[in-house]
Amino acid sequence: MRAALYLFLSVLLAISCQNYCSAQNLPAVSGRYEQTAAEDFFKDLEKQTGFYFYYDTTQLDSLYINILIEKEPLDVALGKALQPTLLKSGIDAAEKKVYITSRMAMLTALPAGFYTKTGITGATADITDYGFDSKARKAIAENKIHEIGNKNTPYKPTAILSGIVRSARTGEPFPNVSILVDDTYSVISDTYGNYSINMPPGKHVLHIIGFGIRETRLTLQVYADGRMDIDLQEQIPTLKEVVVSSVRTRNVRNLQMGVSRLSIDEIKRVPTVFGETDILRVITTLPGVKTVGEASTGFNVRGGSADQNLILFNENTIYNPSHFFGMFSAFNPEIVKDVELYKSSVPAKYGGRLSSVLDINSREGNKKKISGSAGIGLVTSRLQLEGPIVKDKTSFIFGGRTTYANWLIDLLPDEYDKSRASFQDLNLGITHNIDSNNNIYFNGYYSRDQFKLNQDTTYGYDNRNFSLKWQHRFSKRLQGEIIGGYDYYKYDIRSGENYVNAFKLFFDIRQYFGKINFVYYHSQKHGFDFGLNTVAYKLRPGTFEPLNSNSLVRPDTVNTERALENALYVSHRFTPTNKLSFTTGLRYSLYSFLGPQSVSYYAAGQPMTDDTRQSTIQYAKGKFINNYHGPEIRFTLRYAFTPDFSVKAGYNTQRQYIHLLSNTTAISPTDIWKLSDPNIRPQQGDQISLGLYKNFRSNTIETSVEAYYKNIKDYLDYKPGANLFMNHNIETDVIRTKGKAYGIELLIKKPVGKLNGWIGYTYSRILLRSAETGLGSMVNGGDFYPANYDKPHDFILAGNFRINHRFSLSLNSAYSTGRPITYPIGKFYYEGAERVLYSDRNQYRIPDYYRTDFAMNIDGNHKVHQKTHNSWTIGVYNMLGRRNPYSVYFATEGGRVNGYQLSIFGSAIPFINYNIRF
Amino acid sequence: MSKIFNIIWIFLLPAFFTGCKDKYFPEIPSTETNFLVVEGVLNAGNEPTTVRITRTYDINGNIGNLRGETNAVVTVEGNDNSSRPLTMADAGTYQSSNLALSANNEYRLRIKTMDGKEYLSSYVKVKTSPEIDSVSYKPQDGNMQLYVNTHDPANNTRYYKWSYEETWEINSYYYSTIIYDANEPKLIREREPSEYIFRCWKYSKSGKILFGSSAQLTSDVIFEQPINRIPGGDERLSVRYSILLKQYALDKDAYEFFDLMKKNTESLGSIFDAQPSEIRGNIKCVNNPDEIVIGYVSASTVTQKRIFINRPSGWNFRQLCDTRLITPDSVRYYMAKGDFIPIVEEPRMGSLISDYLSSTPVCVDCRERGGNLQKPAYW
Repeated sequence: MRAALYLFLSVLLAISCQNYCSAQNLPAVSGRYEQTAAEDFFKDLEKQTGFYFYYDTTQLDSLYINILIEKEPLDVALGKALQPTLLKSGIDAAEKKVYITSRMAMLTALPAGFYTKTGITGATADITDYGFDSKARKAIAENKIHEIGNKNTPYKPTAILSGIVRSARTGEPFPNVSILVDDTYSVISDTYGNYSINMPPGKHVLHIIGFGIRETRLTLQVYADGRMDIDLQEQIPTLKEVVVSSVRTRNVRNLQMGVSRLSIDEIKRVPTVFGETDILRVITTLPGVKTVGEASTGFNVRGGSADQNLILFNENTIYNPSHFFGMFSAFNPEIVKDVELYKSSVPAKYGGRLSSVLDINSREGNKKKISGSAGIGLVTSRLQLEGPIVKDKTSFIFGGRTTYANWLIDLLPDEYDKSRASFQDLNLGITHNIDSNNNIYFNGYYSRDQFKLNQDTTYGYDNRNFSLKWQHRFSKRLQGEIIGGYDYYKYDIRSGENYVNAFKLFFDIRQYFGKINFVYYHSQKHGFDFGLNTVAYKLRPGTFEPLNSNSLVRPDTVNTERALENALYVSHRFTPTNKLSFTTGLRYSLYSFLGPQSVSYYAAGQPMTDDTRQSTIQYAKGKFINNYHGPEIRFTLRYAFTPDFSVKAGYNTQRQYIHLLSNTTAISPTDIWKLSDPNIRPQQGDQISLGLYKNFRSNTIETSVEAYYKNIKDYLDYKPGANLFMNHNIETDVIRTKGKAYGIELLIKKPVGKLNGWIGYTYSRILLRSAETGLGSMVNGGDFYPANYDKPHDFILAGNFRINHRFSLSLNSAYSTGRPITYPIGKFYYEGAERVLYSDRNQYRIPDYYRTDFAMNIDGNHKVHQKTHNSWTIGVYNMLGRRNPYSVYFATEGGRVNGYQLSIFGSAIPFINYNIRF
Repeated sequence: MSKIFNIIWIFLLPAFFTGCKDKYFPEIPSTETNFLVVEGVLNAGNEPTTVRITRTYDINGNIGNLRGETNAVVTVEGNDNSSRPLTMADAGTYQSSNLALSANNEYRLRIKTMDGKEYLSSYVKVKTSPEIDSVSYKPQDGNMQLYVNTHDPANNTRYYKWSYEETWEINSYYYSTIIYDANEPKLIREREPSEYIFRCWKYSKSGKILFGSSAQLTSDVIFEQPINRIPGGDERLSVRYSILLKQYALDKDAYEFFDLMKKNTESLGSIFDAQPSEIRGNIKCVNNPDEIVIGYVSASTVTQKRIFINRPSGWNFRQLCDTRLITPDSVRYYMAKGDFIPIVEEPRMGSLISDYLSSTPVCVDCRERGGNLQKPAYW
């Protein structure tokens, strides 16, 4: 039995090769092999040479050889043929035997030239550079001992090891990889794959664990500070069983709380409407995140309104993250690497929004070879391309999506029947690796939506963003980045239906931003983050103009608003013991509303109305009209009772200087933003939270309970009938509102295994109350009322079952209490018809929401050397066909009041999606 | 690929086309509201003024629950200390034949109800409605869309409200010349001219809030403001149609009141609905200022215009009608209770006996379709 010889032979190989490999008269072979099965290839060589080949057939499964050999010695020919594979050959010329062995991970599957780089320097190390080896070592082989630092360096109690964790295949850095030292303490690589860790000199074992990578152990002999870049194998699904036994303790050991991280693979497994992978929609399946309804990508985190989420896409702020009436999110899933949502302990480097930060990162392009993917679904077509510009130095990634979604309109209620819609988005990312201490990143994003709403009204919006980031490592302990960028969002409406009234309406916001962030790693006990953020806003609240010369529309422009927001932050991570750690962050933000502007002032202590306006002052360009400033506190504490059980607590305060003006139930694409000014105060919020984290079954099951209580100040609500369009004195139509939110979130997550997914349950409330008591026009007489997105009970199941590596099933099930709604309390007769009378807001609820989706993911075969890999997703959204109410409304029709229930999806929606990778 | 997609489309599309709007009336507990509702325009011209005073009623009730306020004392007061009474015509309707308001003064409405409460509107200016330039109409997607066009050369009006009364002629499917008469020996006789039931007229009033504004335009022009849409094949254009449009001028507050009422009660059902909210107006209860009173009283002259529209060619009004030949011996059986109405006598070939071609009343008698035989004066 050939396989039985396996181990024995692999040991022998090294010896036999040393003896014979170099100078031998091996027979020459020739042949053209195209998609030849490896076994056939070896048999052919047996014929040509008379050598006998030993191999293990199971290792040759689905392995094909493509090579043209012209009279080359057997060893050279085999070397070439097997070079792209994991196989190695050993030739015993005397015995006329060839041993084909597979990767023992420590010997094979190496990039070419592996052995040349592993030489360990001792005496030649450059001592001036903290004992750096002149060449960064690439650590792959697990069985060797890696020496760190110069042996001759004087002894120090601790040494710092730093480097980058990256893919051996594409060179792309791996973030969030855990590096455990002797399985006692750990660090996590940052977004760029950088890590830095303290350890006493001596022998150590590094254990490297992360999502999508092969678990690796490295043995180190540490003498002094040093650098080691770790190239990791990705966990490529093979046709054989993979036993996953990872030590996932991140949720327990990590200091952050209220954070949800999703990789794009996890996101792609969740079935969504029309099979379009939708990042925001998956985010809303997390505990503590809710939406008003299906046609609304605006989401609500822990009782915050939709404008209180900072949506960052590669450092850029995205003001409208959705396409097509909010039905799809505007992020191309082929570009996105991962998504992080901070619900409570927002790092001090982020600010400007009250509720959450959603940080979406795109991938870096493949630095080794050109590759890409394309997909076709019922709504969009996608294309993505990536590859090196300069190999191993500079890479690009490009993604584009476009739609042919006009037929989708027919799914909308009848009023939209004659409408047309289209959307596109484009992404471009360029990464340049100057040297191991300097990287430059460019990211650009463009999205466009266009609707034609019946006849002659067109409506469009654009996001345009770009950013440039230079990341520099000053030393092993200090690294910094400087980011500059531009964010732009606009929409316009044009209506030419009636030529006298033909108009165009235009809104835009642009911001220039700069960020300087530093990370200083002092020791295992202390770490610091600090930096500076600045944003310059220019917001044009509205321009209303005649569409053409026939139009009688009077041009009207609401004054452009300008403001500057600066913030300084510092955050200190302190880990006094292995069990206890704190993060204390302080952010101080300073906001200035700038001229030119005319500002109205109103009588103090009275409601702001046209009657109480006392003066209007004109300010010159560049004048600082007023300032708002204040500290924001970010504090988190963690105590780990055992390695798999911890308690965390946090206190957070936030300030928000920009407001979304919206008096519709769901966020509408025509909602405009408003900067704080002397009459509109910034929103403030604070949150206290507590969480328990416990992992089971060798950390394959993560559970958590988080509870929070939150206060919101100076949130904006609106007077009945307020008109937010082209309103020159918006302050007269708003009601300052206070809010309180509280809740408890339970999550059970099984991130790995054949059966994986999560189950979440949330109980939460969000109650608002008009703050200006005694100033009239209060909602519900100044009592607390539930916000539109107050859905106390919320249950979600997102499950995936991998039957084998090519076929998996996903099931997604969601239940929530119906959202609050204002029902009429009576009827009256007016203008020739019966009409309904409304009173207190949001005192009733629409029927509960329940939906189940199902999808099958079918991958084509996994043969590594195919030119293309394809996959199918087939599924049903809203499998039970339940008509989940989006709203309940009452309309006067033909003189009578009729009640209706509006559902966005009135039936089960099957979908199919095809993807191809190349 | 594309072939696969075609197949999928054929199978999947029907599944998508299920409607998304369902009738649904939730259980809402009945609340005692009984708030005062005041509707009316103080007519500043020489026409009569009508103010309707009603009460709100149960959300689960219907129009039958509407109660007019009886025996209230209603007066129009001017800021010149003048006072003009409105008298109750019937429950809820208070009228004056001519208020003779002066354009230079401001007026308000005072209501004293039977329960001893007193309500007062704010003072309103007298607005002048310009002449209606035209009422136009054009077919749109098989429907007939009616528009109003008006302008104020003085650029003074800016906010407009309209209401209309429509009249249309209907004709029976069959023209009956004979009538069942139990006193006749043959039970059938010729119709007298006064007994013809072929031509009728029907009436209706606007049931939607119709208003418009030129506030955003450089001149005070209302161009093709939609006022009514007659769906394709509708009976109203089956013969001839007439509309009398009345135009009122509003002030800005009144415009906002109607705008909010429309948003609350008519413009709902979209994905991005505004939240419905409380609506009041310009009337307050003197005894209890927090009491909800619905209504906006304004003062304006009224201008009006009537147009006629004949049946457009191709207007497909359909009625399903069929005739039946009734033999003389069955006449009593079929016609005594009015189940059938004779249309014409049909002599049998080679016989003295005649049968009667008949049809169901809805095909013969236009009154069965809600029509009125009395021809209006303006027809």
